[in-house]
Amino acid sequence: MEETLAIFIASTLRLGMPLMLAASGELVSERAGVLNLSLEGMMLTAAFFGALGSWATGNPYLGVGCAVLASLCVAAVQAWLSVDLRANQLVVGIGFNILALGATTLLYRVIFGGLSREEIPGLPKLAVDGLSNLPFAGTAFFQQSVIVYFGLALMVLIWVILNHTSFGLAVRAVGDEPLSADKAGIPVARTRRLAVLVAGAMAGLAGAFISIADIHTFTENMTNGAGYLALAAVIFGGWNIGRTIAACLLFGAATALQFQLPAMGIVVPTAFLLMLPYLLALLAVAGVVGRLEPPTALTLPFRRGK
Amino acid sequence: MTQSTTAEPPLLALDGLGKRFGSLQALEGVSLGVRAGTVQCLLGENGAGKSTLCNLIFGVYGRSAGHMAFGGAPWAPASPAVALERGIAMVHQHFSLVPRMTVVENLMLGQVKGMLHRHEFGARIRDIAERFGFVLDPDAVVGELSVGERQRAEIVKCLMRDPRLLVLDEPTAVLPPGEIGALLDICRRVADSGRAVILVTHKLAEIAKVADRVAVLRGGRLVADEDMAGADMGTLVHAMVGREVKPLDVALAEPDDGVADQPAAAEATGPRRFALVCDGLSVEDRHGAVRLDNFTLEIRPGEIVGLAGVEGNGQSELGMVLAGLLRPTEGRFYMGDVELTHAGAAAVTAAGGGIVPEDRHAVACVTAMSVAENMYLNKLGQFTRFGLLHRRALHAAAETQMRTFDVRAAGPEVAFSGLSGGNQQKAVLARELTLDPLVALVAAQPTRGLDISAVEAVYRQIRAAARRGVGVLLISSELDELIAVADRIAVLYRGRLVGERPAAAGERAAIGALMSGQVMSDQAE
Amino acid sequence: MTTTTIMLSLPDRRRMVGVAVPFIAVAGSLAIGLLLVAASGKSVPEAIEAFLDGAFGTAYAIGASINRAVALALVGLGFILAFRANLTNVGGEGQIAVGGIVATAIGLWTPISDLPLGLAVVLPLLGGTLAGALWGGIAGVMKVRFGTNEVISTLLLGFIALLLVYWCVQSTTLLRQPQTSSATLPESLPIADAVKLPGLTGSPESPLHIGLVICLLLAGVTAVVLQRSTFGLRLRAIGLNELAARRAGMPGGILLVVALALAGAFGGLAGAIMLQGEQYYLKAGFSSGYGFDGLVVGLLSRGSTVGVLAGALFFGFLRSGGISMEIMAGVPAALTLVIQGLIVIAVAGSVILVERLERGGR
Repeated sequence: MEETLAIFIASTLRLGMPLMLAASGELVSERAGVLNLSLEGMMLTAAFFGALGSWATGNPYLGVGCAVLASLCVAAVQAWLSVDLRANQLVVGIGFNILALGATTLLYRVIFGGLSREEIPGLPKLAVDGLSNLPFAGTAFFQQSVIVYFGLALMVLIWVILNHTSFGLAVRAVGDEPLSADKAGIPVARTRRLAVLVAGAMAGLAGAFISIADIHTFTENMTNGAGYLALAAVIFGGWNIGRTIAACLLFGAATALQFQLPAMGIVVPTAFLLMLPYLLALLAVAGVVGRLEPPTALTLPFRRGK
Repeated sequence: MTQSTTAEPPLLALDGLGKRFGSLQALEGVSLGVRAGTVQCLLGENGAGKSTLCNLIFGVYGRSAGHMAFGGAPWAPASPAVALERGIAMVHQHFSLVPRMTVVENLMLGQVKGMLHRHEFGARIRDIAERFGFVLDPDAVVGELSVGERQRAEIVKCLMRDPRLLVLDEPTAVLPPGEIGALLDICRRVADSGRAVILVTHKLAEIAKVADRVAVLRGGRLVADEDMAGADMGTLVHAMVGREVKPLDVALAEPDDGVADQPAAAEATGPRRFALVCDGLSVEDRHGAVRLDNFTLEIRPGEIVGLAGVEGNGQSELGMVLAGLLRPTEGRFYMGDVELTHAGAAAVTAAGGGIVPEDRHAVACVTAMSVAENMYLNKLGQFTRFGLLHRRALHAAAETQMRTFDVRAAGPEVAFSGLSGGNQQKAVLARELTLDPLVALVAAQPTRGLDISAVEAVYRQIRAAARRGVGVLLISSELDELIAVADRIAVLYRGRLVGERPAAAGERAAIGALMSGQVMSDQAE
Repeated sequence: MTTTTIMLSLPDRRRMVGVAVPFIAVAGSLAIGLLLVAASGKSVPEAIEAFLDGAFGTAYAIGASINRAVALALVGLGFILAFRANLTNVGGEGQIAVGGIVATAIGLWTPISDLPLGLAVVLPLLGGTLAGALWGGIAGVMKVRFGTNEVISTLLLGFIALLLVYWCVQSTTLLRQPQTSSATLPESLPIADAVKLPGLTGSPESPLHIGLVICLLLAGVTAVVLQRSTFGLRLRAIGLNELAARRAGMPGGILLVVALALAGAFGGLAGAIMLQGEQYYLKAGFSSGYGFDGLVVGLLSRGSTVGVLAGALFFGFLRSGGISMEIMAGVPAALTLVIQGLIVIAVAGSVILVERLERGGR
């Protein structure tokens, strides 16, 4: 029983990880007023180029680099369109998701050919000395891929940046009252662009985690809605980093349960467990779970004067 | 300390300053000197060019003509940032604070780099506030502060830059009367610390308390510039209002025969005793603050009741309630014999309640739609058969009404946004006054921003409606207008009806006292 | 003064810009698509030939393409209706899904085949439409009641609906066919012939069905509603300035709910038509992106019914041609997704440019 629980915790962490990475980056962008529906596309792009880089160089760490770079490229265009050209962020996001799905599938077929399922060099699991052998916690927490520890450190960093640095202050200001921020001398467009790039980098790590650290290969549409789940987690988390990460873990747990419950002989429809995160997010935006207020200027382009 | 020797050159010197926006000459030939250690008041009516002048000094716009010098050197700031850098700070009418952040966070925004040290910065805020004689909690969330406290946060924000000149654009317009005195004290202390203060206002009473010198702008020109010590209030009023007082007075003074008609009109409407009844209306905002407090008022058919008050004392909430757009937390209201408290906007219209809202663009019209569509926005059903809109009939009807109400536009099909403010307001009035039946009219700030001929037209229409037996509630912050147009004047202060006076020029002082909350109703009556 | 006769008048020129941008975006994206074909080492002429053959080559191809276009057009029509009230319905995919579920459920109800007057066809269509309306309406109610942004709610409702389909075909107590062996696929039973949409041509060569007629009729109705009806004007008013519309006595909340419910109804109908016209049984993911493509169609049309029809035909043929290209020329059908994605991004990105050109005429 204890073993099952430890495995459950470990797989919750594993399944929640890409969500946590992507959601914490997206949180920064949304606090700055830019909603990236393209998160899914960024992650998928990253998952593909991560796999490609890792396969081509034989070095998974270079693969992670490729993933982040590719995702940053998508984020840069998203930022240019939604911040500088003031395009509808949602529509651009949908466009990127379609494009990313098409492009990665196309490239995968062209480069890897047909239905190749060759395993790529993956990131090693980092067994923390002394800790990984602990009877319960070892299995639960300390046999994860290196990206997990790195990602957790980044989340702490994001919390520090958002709440304790001038950049974080600027991010929150341009997301709430861009006009006031502008008057205070904050470069609104630059701050927003940077925030979108943060989302891009974190989505890149998330994508790399899925293909390089977790599955060790690329498959078509392998993110399979994880980007949307991360968006739902930001909403469910009320645009607060702690709650967002908790939401990701909850969503990860719901996904993990679909494998755990049958093993324990409990019959719950898989579809219901998969649906749960979206249902919870829906209830959250409806205000059933306390009143959540998005950043005031979320999805609103800024233009000086009038 | 405030006495300045004539030998000392002014800190800020303006020479023949002019500014043109397209065909509009907003400022022309303004020459003025502002000395360190003094409070310079800038007086003028709306549209006299006060804000334009401030914005030129602060670098928001570039000038079109003339010269400026600051601290002895030529002054032509490229942007507000440059002006701030070089010692001029400005408190704008609209605050630029982020409501969800704390005071200290707002003040750190754009001022610090790297890690935030809230405690140290907060201590600096407390210090500065203390030095100028007030208190400000650095850790309070701005959205939860009163207007006065927010303004003090803005002032501290300016003072942290240690400016040599502080410009305050209409700082008292947003304040409840009780907080004005405190603000003027702060201005005095800032000047006493050796800085110069420019205080922009259109209210005479304020300047007497604090100004060292006073300048008056009218129509973009400087028409007076004198020491406060020798200034005569009457002369200043004359300078401020100038010749324009006449047409306005004519427009406003016409109604006498209308008042005479009143009883007849009231009888003609038959058994209906009141056109509009507000019975104990209260409104709480979502933070639980009481915006309108047990408001009770009865208006007879044919009567024009003015509602005076400094802006932000509950007028907007009352207007929204009577328009059927906001549900009161308590109380009821009736138009004619119909209770409309929770009935909604459509029912108000059906019961004969004409509404000219305070915020025309937000509430009264859809500017991207045509003039005809806007003039019949609440009566589209008249032109609908089998669900289809009969556009030709709509345009024909609109054209007739545009002639009747003198709405000038290229045609009924042109976009409403292309009309001047005056014509837009006339179109809205036309729509609301042609309701059938029309029992009551609630007009909030109906002449704001309109030119003199439009003002005249609006009041002519309102008077005509009253003569036909319509009960009118006229909400305005311009006391002169109320005195000229209304039959009696009720005064709103902090959401409460604090008194009622006849609409007579002699009551001006009494009404002013009520508006500033100095006298409560029980003492006044 | 010959130049003036050649030059278009200003309003015409502005309208031209609005029409030209989607065309330029489409042409540019197609060109990039061809470049990608060339870059991947495949023969461009061969790919084009396969594409054209798959899209227009046979009566079957044309019929199948038009059937695809019907579903896209319906979602697109719903999108522009809601968009008139300034509501962005991103939930087409989910509305198709619930429409398909309900149409299947009614279609599998045994006695239905014996109903007279074509009710066997009509009832599932109506059921699907109502289910879609309900799904869209939920987002509307959430918007009015809780102020929830409809983009977020329709998107989330979309995922929930997709998982509902999954649930329905996974569980034998719901719509899954009786499980006879472990190899039984997670699908519903096929619907009876009486429930299938009748063909239009009568020839077995062409799959074209009466969905086309339904779609054209609804397109006509939509055009009238948007351009001539008072309801359309009210939607516009509420979309432009909700407070002013409410002040003018319009039932703001109801209008918003109705607008989203209508958009959902069109999506649900599209789902029912897809199921009764082509697929005949329910399986997970049967909506296969039609909801998002329909959104794109609605978006590209800039609110015009004719634009929706044109866009739907374009994407319908693009899909058919793409599939043929994959089979015959070995070019992955994902290429069509790339082209679509590029079109959406280009059109969205050029909005400011178009607005500036339209307003200034410069």
